[in-house]
Amino acid sequence: MAVTPPPPADPAPERVVFWFGCNIARHGEIVRLATRMLEAVGIEPAPAGGPSYCCGSPKEANARIAGGMARRTMEAFNAMGRDTVVTWCPSCHMNMDDFMAPATEAAFATAHISEVLHARRDRLAPLLRHRVAARRALPHLHHGFNGRVPVNALVPDLLRLIPGLEVPDHPCRAPGHMCSALAGVPGALAAAQRALLAAAEETGADALVTIFHSCHRETVSLERGRPGLRVVNWIHLLAESMGLAYRDDYKAWRNAPDPREAVGPDRLAAAGETAFERLVEPELRRPPPV
Amino acid sequence: MSAARLPPPRAPDLAALIRAESARLAAACTACGACVGACPMVPTLPAVAAAAPETVAAGMRAVLRGEAQAAPAGSVAWIGACTRSGLCTAACPERLDAAYMMRLAGMRLRGALGAGEEGGPPRLPAREDPGWSARVKAFARLTLTEEEQARWL
Repeated sequence: MAVTPPPPADPAPERVVFWFGCNIARHGEIVRLATRMLEAVGIEPAPAGGPSYCCGSPKEANARIAGGMARRTMEAFNAMGRDTVVTWCPSCHMNMDDFMAPATEAAFATAHISEVLHARRDRLAPLLRHRVAARRALPHLHHGFNGRVPVNALVPDLLRLIPGLEVPDHPCRAPGHMCSALAGVPGALAAAQRALLAAAEETGADALVTIFHSCHRETVSLERGRPGLRVVNWIHLLAESMGLAYRDDYKAWRNAPDPREAVGPDRLAAAGETAFERLVEPELRRPPPV
Repeated sequence: MSAARLPPPRAPDLAALIRAESARLAAACTACGACVGACPMVPTLPAVAAAAPETVAAGMRAVLRGEAQAAPAGSVAWIGACTRSGLCTAACPERLDAAYMMRLAGMRLRGALGAGEEGGPPRLPAREDPGWSARVKAFARLTLTEEEQARWL
């Protein structure tokens, strides 16, 4: 009797920490979708972020405090016993390389999420079955960080796996490693956004695709008054093609005539009235750079 | 997975790392100014654009040598406007990580090692947002479920 060999078993999922950083807390759906995407390509992520897992950069003007925060995070990751820390935030990733691991032993390797998904694109591609609500998507790229992790090639490569989506090449590169760095230099963010809009027009793009959370935060307001233009994050587009449902609440709040009303009383109560009024609302009501 | 192993620590703490790396890179820097010439932020800084790139770069090297108070104002302004493009690193003929040097210089100018060690008060304001932690937590309460907050933060 012929014996049919059993199909090869899926290898055990690789167990990683998914270190999503802190300021992406504005976009909880990106953390959620990225986590599901890692799971879908055979990885078992343990998401970790927020101030408890700080890289130290918010306190870089005091080496003792910044170093202490970084050491606490390194010790927490070491205690989690996972081989790899998968990063999201370029600042966290570079801080790990430049200041955290050089001062505290790391019992893990690191990789950026774009590297992980790109390395497993043979598993991701069959999951990208749906067309997305965009025809031509222009990635929003920066000069910085690309020298550490080639995100400017990896992310467009992944977007090109989406059926029917065109991803044009354009030489537009914003200064800095992400838009939050530009926000501190007068005029720099507005100039970068004007250049991005010009690139969108030149390429006939109907979607701008942000790579990092701070770029997404600063760019979503470009949808205002431009009904033919959509601003999405690369994780949003991949998720859409996978059929994963999500809502970009931050974009909805930021572009609403009345952000407080758009957030709604239940969530406002969850955030806390005082915290919302002092810490959230001013950001949501800030005039767009362009 | 294409993960990179991290090298073993080379300093006992962050302050010692900043001191050691500053000294190492300052010793290798020739202050040729190629990093200044490649910087995309220079056009936003008229005084820096008008200065000799070698002079601006020498000021950055002075900060790394522990001579922050002696660095020209143009160098301080240049370091303060760094947005981490990394184009300086690609331009360095000595193959130094100029972006890392800028980061170290920025930390020192903002007082990372203290006024006593730098010979005077910080020459750049700290980029600290006093509401950062509370703001992150407030947004997390808006966008994450209670269970996600409990498990992930």
